[in-house]
Amino acid sequence: MLGSRSRSRPADLRALADEELMGLVHDGEVRAFEIVFDRHATAAFSLAYRMCGRRAVAEDIVQEAFLSLWRSSRAYDPARGSVRSWVLSVVHNRAIDALRRQGSRDSRDVPDDGITERLPAPDRTDAEAERRDEAHQVRTALDELPPDQRRVIELAYFGGFTHSQIAEMLDLPPGTVKGRMRLGLTKMRNVLGEVTV
Amino acid sequence: MTGTGGLRNGRECGEDAAAYVLGALEPGEAEAFRRHLADCAACQKDVAELEQVTGSLADATPRYAVPRELRGRVLREVRATPKAQASRPTRSWSPRIAWGGAVAVAAVVVIAVVLVVALSGGGSSTRTIQASTGSAELQIADGRADLIVHRLPTLPAGRIYEMWVQRGSATPTPTGTLFAVTSSGTAAVGVPGGVSGVSAVMVTQEPTGGTPAPTTAPVIVARTT
Repeated sequence: MLGSRSRSRPADLRALADEELMGLVHDGEVRAFEIVFDRHATAAFSLAYRMCGRRAVAEDIVQEAFLSLWRSSRAYDPARGSVRSWVLSVVHNRAIDALRRQGSRDSRDVPDDGITERLPAPDRTDAEAERRDEAHQVRTALDELPPDQRRVIELAYFGGFTHSQIAEMLDLPPGTVKGRMRLGLTKMRNVLGEVTV
Repeated sequence: MTGTGGLRNGRECGEDAAAYVLGALEPGEAEAFRRHLADCAACQKDVAELEQVTGSLADATPRYAVPRELRGRVLREVRATPKAQASRPTRSWSPRIAWGGAVAVAAVVVIAVVLVVALSGGGSSTRTIQASTGSAELQIADGRADLIVHRLPTLPAGRIYEMWVQRGSATPTPTGTLFAVTSSGTAAVGVPGGVSGVSAVMVTQEPTGGTPAPTTAPVIVARTT
């Protein structure tokens, strides 16, 4: 892991895959980091904003996630997933932390400030078009779940609530909440199984 | 797929896999499930499959424009944060390494540390502590410090190693360094800012993305004074 410091810099960094760029990020190449940021910041910010509903909080989470990627580029292991999934996983964990630190839980569902601009789905590249199609498949799979299963999944994943909190909120036994989570995710997995999400 | 695991605490362990990948277990439950996961192939399979779904959920949210100033702020911060290999002032060391009491208490992973110190003048000294599971070296040269670990366990999905530094007897603070190990249990990570003023470098196992305060006892404690 220490032996990659003498890599030469390709002329067109934008042509490189994320995994190759991460090697340059590890070497301290800011331009490679910029490209990684530009590729994934919209997804990262959208997830953080969807979860927290506060632009300032979402910005802090995204900033911390990307700085973590810069400082800890050695932690990235392609065998464990893509750069994008690593970034989104970091954002999700940090957003949950932020939500659980937050005393009030009133405004988790809807972004609050009306300032943040909703983007049309960008299709500048084939990869973006493919991602848009996959996102559509995932949203459809979620929407088609029975409402009681969809609700617990959304409260947990996007709301950051624990199964105990959800059980209390919906006046259900904790085992029922876990069971609905399992059924819902399993159905989604089966639906999406042929789509390679 | 799910629900195929064995028994944990007298109940089907597969019930917890979905809540785990959604981040919906209580902290204590999550820690217990992670320990269980290390030895349960059925739950490992469940988690790997269900994480594909939660990963796709993350990427399926409505898109919002990234505030323009955020990009500038992140890049300014990055330029002000040199990578660990940037050169730093030279200093010499007379190191000593010891195990923190927390390691013995935690018994998560017992790691013997081999501390190798390369002095700036070209000399070196090595102090070896009795080996058990895994090993680590803290290499210090020209003010730069790198922690190299060998034969550490690979962590289950959703977990990562996080590095901390302690100054004096103060509470350890996060370095922002997160790392995984290769299939052979090896990793090499820089200690951001070097070890000037640092009394110990520690490593804990944490959720992916790291935490602002440790949630587990350290698996490595390398004392520098």
